[in-house]
Amino acid sequence: MSDAGDVDLDRVWVGVAAEVWRRRPGPVERLAGRLLRSPGLARALVTTPSLLLGWVVATGVVLLAGVLATVETGTPYVALLAPALAAAGIAYAYGPGIDPAWELSCSVAVSDRLVLLVRALAVFGLNATLGVLASAASGAAAAVTFGWLLPMTAVCALALAVATVARSANVGVAAGVASWVIVILVGQASTGRISAAVTTSVLWLPYLTFACCCAATVLYATRIPRGTP
Amino acid sequence: MNVVTADLTRRFGRTVAVAGVTLDAGPGVVGLLGPNGAGKTSLLRVLATVIPPSSGRIRLLGQDPGSYRQRRQIRRRLGYVPQNLGFYPGFTVVEFVEYFALLKEVPPAVVHRAVASAVERVDLGDKAKAKLRTLSGGMLRRVGIAQAIVNEPELLLLDEPTAGLDPEQRVAFRALLRDLGQRATVIVSTHLVEDVGAACGRVSLMDKGRIVFQGTPDELTARGEGTAAAGDAPLERGYSAVLAAARS
Repeated sequence: MSDAGDVDLDRVWVGVAAEVWRRRPGPVERLAGRLLRSPGLARALVTTPSLLLGWVVATGVVLLAGVLATVETGTPYVALLAPALAAAGIAYAYGPGIDPAWELSCSVAVSDRLVLLVRALAVFGLNATLGVLASAASGAAAAVTFGWLLPMTAVCALALAVATVARSANVGVAAGVASWVIVILVGQASTGRISAAVTTSVLWLPYLTFACCCAATVLYATRIPRGTP
Repeated sequence: MNVVTADLTRRFGRTVAVAGVTLDAGPGVVGLLGPNGAGKTSLLRVLATVIPPSSGRIRLLGQDPGSYRQRRQIRRRLGYVPQNLGFYPGFTVVEFVEYFALLKEVPPAVVHRAVASAVERVDLGDKAKAKLRTLSGGMLRRVGIAQAIVNEPELLLLDEPTAGLDPEQRVAFRALLRDLGQRATVIVSTHLVEDVGAACGRVSLMDKGRIVFQGTPDELTARGEGTAAAGDAPLERGYSAVLAAARS
């Protein structure tokens, strides 16, 4: 037995405090940690501003309104709303002004590019799921699933690229939403149908190409800087 | 040497924030002094691998931060407190420190103990479960220091760490700095000359992006002796004399 005088009380206290203060991660964070094989990345994911409950609820409410409007008028408002909502979520996923401790997070081992990628994918996945559910509820899922998914990809990629290059989520949202509104209006002006932007199959390839260009821009803007010659 | 730079330059457009800085630092506390706009924060941001240099050579902890793999290694052994440290207001002290411990890839098995130890070292044990939005500016500053030391860094970079601390807290912080400096390289940017005198073994003085003095606090003090340089304390007079000489 050790003498009581040999006990390092500070060390004991730190051990006690570590247990008392220990935070148990929630099920989503535990699952993300297992999937991503990084507790840091998992924590970064669950702290995404546009994945917080309030944001998700707001997205759901807007889509629900879209469902009601679609059912009432027959115009696919869900398909028109989904890309804009997703673009806003993507732009607000990560970046300076969004993450209060952005400067600090640029000096840590978990790559900020990886955090951006994981958060963007998660936000996109959640919005796509909500959009599919809303489309199904409005009775138009089969007809417009690909119709709005591709524009949503393109608009999200644009919002992300602009937010990344401009280092401003607000600018990214403005660019994404404004461009989507312009596409809808141009589609309406040329065909007479407001839904042309999501129902014209000839636009799929341009949407996809544009999304790829924006993704390349994001990759370039977040490239690993070669600091030393 | 944990920090080795040669002719390090950082430009922002046409502005040269860091102009050919050559700096070597081993274990110990280095004070980085200089007037506003001297380039201290830019230099610390380069050393913290937040921004790359525009030109020049840099090695941190024996590694090249220009390489992704080596930079990741550096960052695991780095602590950084930026000048404008942002906080997540809904996080508790422990959650914030733990978040950055995880992002620094502190092994999960030791994270909780490392967090508790860091929080205790900055004397915030009684606020461990408090939300950050409820804390004073000085307490938030200590939270920032706790996240910086949670990974037992070998290179610790602190930008104005004593801003917002009361005199008692500053005394305690200087003691912490001296303790940390026994094992790690600690570079502290500050306006407060008395912090440098009390805690730093070496001083680098920057002006207009360049380092215009490197030496011990005593050597800086000696530069002010017998001059009419402004200052209430000997070290301040040395500071003023060096700056005046650099600008003349």
